Amino acid sequence: MEALGPRIAARNARVLAGVFVLCLSVLLSGCAGMFPQTATLRSGLPGGMSEKVELKQVPFFPQEEFECGPASLAMALDAAGAKVTPEELVPQVYLPARKGSLQVEMLAAARRHGTVSYVLAPRFLDLLREIEAGNPVIVLYDQGVWSPLTSWHYAVAVGYDYDSGDLVLRSGTIERQVISFPVHELMWKGSGYWAMVAVPPERIPATAQPDPWLSSVAALERTGDVRNARTAYETFLKRWPENTNAEIGLANTLHAQGELPRAERVLRDAARRAPDNPVVLNNLAQTLSDQNRDDEALPFIDRAARLGGPHAAAVEDTRRGILERLSSKKKN
Amino acid sequence: MKSSFAGVVCRLLVALMIWTPYQIAHAGMIGTEQVTQQSSQTDRSTVLNFVERSDVASQLAALGVNPATAKDRVAAMSDEEVRYLAGQVQSLPAAGTDAWVWVLVILIIAGVVWWAWKR
Repeated sequence: MEALGPRIAARNARVLAGVFVLCLSVLLSGCAGMFPQTATLRSGLPGGMSEKVELKQVPFFPQEEFECGPASLAMALDAAGAKVTPEELVPQVYLPARKGSLQVEMLAAARRHGTVSYVLAPRFLDLLREIEAGNPVIVLYDQGVWSPLTSWHYAVAVGYDYDSGDLVLRSGTIERQVISFPVHELMWKGSGYWAMVAVPPERIPATAQPDPWLSSVAALERTGDVRNARTAYETFLKRWPENTNAEIGLANTLHAQGELPRAERVLRDAARRAPDNPVVLNNLAQTLSDQNRDDEALPFIDRAARLGGPHAAAVEDTRRGILERLSSKKKN
Repeated sequence: MKSSFAGVVCRLLVALMIWTPYQIAHAGMIGTEQVTQQSSQTDRSTVLNFVERSDVASQLAALGVNPATAKDRVAAMSDEEVRYLAGQVQSLPAAGTDAWVWVLVILIIAGVVWWAWKR
């Protein structure tokens, strides 16, 4: 009876050891499966890419309790030239009852400081490319890794060393945290590899794709920051000239700033290349009408109305307005 | 009690929003967001988006954000982001923790794996 205790203990120890060995072997054999992106990176970086980068100039703001969102955002914004403290960002991103910050609000708050916020493609290489290009990257980690222990955390990736396989972060209360690629991937995976950058309007992130980047600029325009949105559209068109949607955006910001002749010129160029785009035609007609040239506007809006499409109702409104002004002019 | 308070906040926000021209596009101009949205629902009504914005703002207010501040926060979001948030402010990840004990556990596990990776 008295021997039973130690025997059970010994058996438990064996079971524990067995479980440990089993876990270890699963981990080792499933290596590539657990860290698919790290495994892909092992084959080497694309030619010409730096093996070691660290953005030492990114400042460090240690987080207050639960406030890694405002702290991370302040560091990224500082690098983009927007001086703002974590304290100023707390009322813009922090949710008291959730004791944290939502991803959408991180993106939205960056716009309030004149930057364009962009969600990176969920690729490890893209993260490294942005760092190489000088853009600190805000990453969302699930530090719990396993769902019952989920614990969300934002950190700012500011450097990497490919040879040693390390990523450098500003995280929480640690100014320079070095973690290995697999550890990073393990925690990053839980958020679906979510990462964002915030850049000033005269720049474009290294990994930006035209369509999602244009949506990001349009989101900045939507907040009413017409001046910075205009700069961003101009930057966009330098990189990807003749993009009709970007021309629509540029013309909209010019129009909002009251520069109607310039808006007209942009839209005329766009209409020459895309004569069947109802939005271009509608906005060109409206811009002409706003310059009191309803006669010139009429053929454009008529063509837009004939084309139909998802904006037909808006086109019809514009057309009605132009016709009304024309008829009232005739009466006078 | 709580729900009546939420009701008051909600009405207050709706009232506040009526004075905010969310659709900044000038009359007659089709906004850039209408043509750049990634989703297929480009022709959703302004009214519906307005309702969603009020909804998100009142959810933020219910989670402790000052109502006037909540309105500004929603104003910085795109239509797509508002649509995404509507109804799930409570359930989406809200990151706020500091680096803590689990990191240690992960570091140990990952250290072993790292060793395997380098081998």
